[in-house]
Amino acid sequence: MRMPRMTGLALIAGLGLTSCATTAKTANGTQATNAAPSADDRASAELKEHDWHHHRGGVTQFIAMSLDTLGADDAKRPQIEKVQSDLHACMGPSGRIERDLHLTLADGIAVGAIDVAKVDALIERLDGTAATVHDCSVNALNQLHAILSPAERSELAEKVKAHWQVWRHVNHEARAGGRERGGRLAELARELDLTPTQVDKISADLQASPARPSGKFDPGEAEAHVQAFAAAFAADSFDAGSVTPANVHLALHGARRMAHFYETVSPELTAEQRTTLARHLREHATHQPVVRAK
Amino acid sequence: MKASKVVVCVGAIITCVACVPALGQIDVEVGPPAEYIATATPVYFEGRPAYWYGNRWYYRDGPGWHAFREEPRYLGEYRMHHREPARVYYGRAHGGGFRRW
Repeated sequence: MRMPRMTGLALIAGLGLTSCATTAKTANGTQATNAAPSADDRASAELKEHDWHHHRGGVTQFIAMSLDTLGADDAKRPQIEKVQSDLHACMGPSGRIERDLHLTLADGIAVGAIDVAKVDALIERLDGTAATVHDCSVNALNQLHAILSPAERSELAEKVKAHWQVWRHVNHEARAGGRERGGRLAELARELDLTPTQVDKISADLQASPARPSGKFDPGEAEAHVQAFAAAFAADSFDAGSVTPANVHLALHGARRMAHFYETVSPELTAEQRTTLARHLREHATHQPVVRAK
Repeated sequence: MKASKVVVCVGAIITCVACVPALGQIDVEVGPPAEYIATATPVYFEGRPAYWYGNRWYYRDGPGWHAFREEPRYLGEYRMHHREPARVYYGRAHGGGFRRW
């Protein structure tokens, strides 16, 4: 009698375990859930538009932008705003060159003749000033680390990686002349109401003659820098000065690709389309942060 | 023998209780995309940032993403008061995103 009773208990326990295991497997079972939105998501589309046009501060720009959506404790907002303002101030010289670059491209597009030499010179200057941003922002980054909680620091690191991922895709991995939905050419076609013939010609031209590589930008090096920053910032102690830094030439690469795109597109546009595009670039030139007095 | 019964029962109970946390979450292969993380504000819940995306709350635990099977009350109340977590718009239409908080 004892044995059957024990067997019964064991069976019940076994069933319980099996059912628990099954439930856990179902509940914990990996699902290929990739919840829908994306292509039609306005905020995502506007981030790409921003990343096509703004290359003022490399990784520091990603950090400053990450603070927009960190969702940190309200009580910390004044301090975080101050740090963000300091980071923008460090990117100020690059921002002014970037503005001149947008205006030079806009003026050239408006009259149908971009001054390529002037554009190239501005891009070289942009690369030079972008190199100074890291050193300038060391104190602000150290302050930021001290202000944030471990969870907030960790999330900032993830956001910086997310910004880098988007930037890398739109400015490096996306195929020149590609017609994918939400891509650079598709968005231009939408903005300027390009005809299919114009899209065909621009796509062919961009594929035949992609932007020349700068020779300085190395996506592997940039990736390593972003990962090194993210790991260091998420840790309990942090010294921005010791994170391998400097210039990974994001500004150079992004600005060159942007300029080349417009140099290729411009000759194919009608006068009316050039006017519209020039206006859009002038609007981008006005996108400058308000920097607080120190 | 009584002791054996107790051991068996306690073992079964412990195992089942250990299963309970797993009921509240789903491991997912793919979390919200990078462009969403870069533009959306998370809500901090139980020490972790959570993102409302595709009608579900997602959070990271280590390298992987998880989703809540059922919406935690705190996050549900957050949505009731805020509709959806804030996004930042960086395009021309929004001045390049230079508006704060």
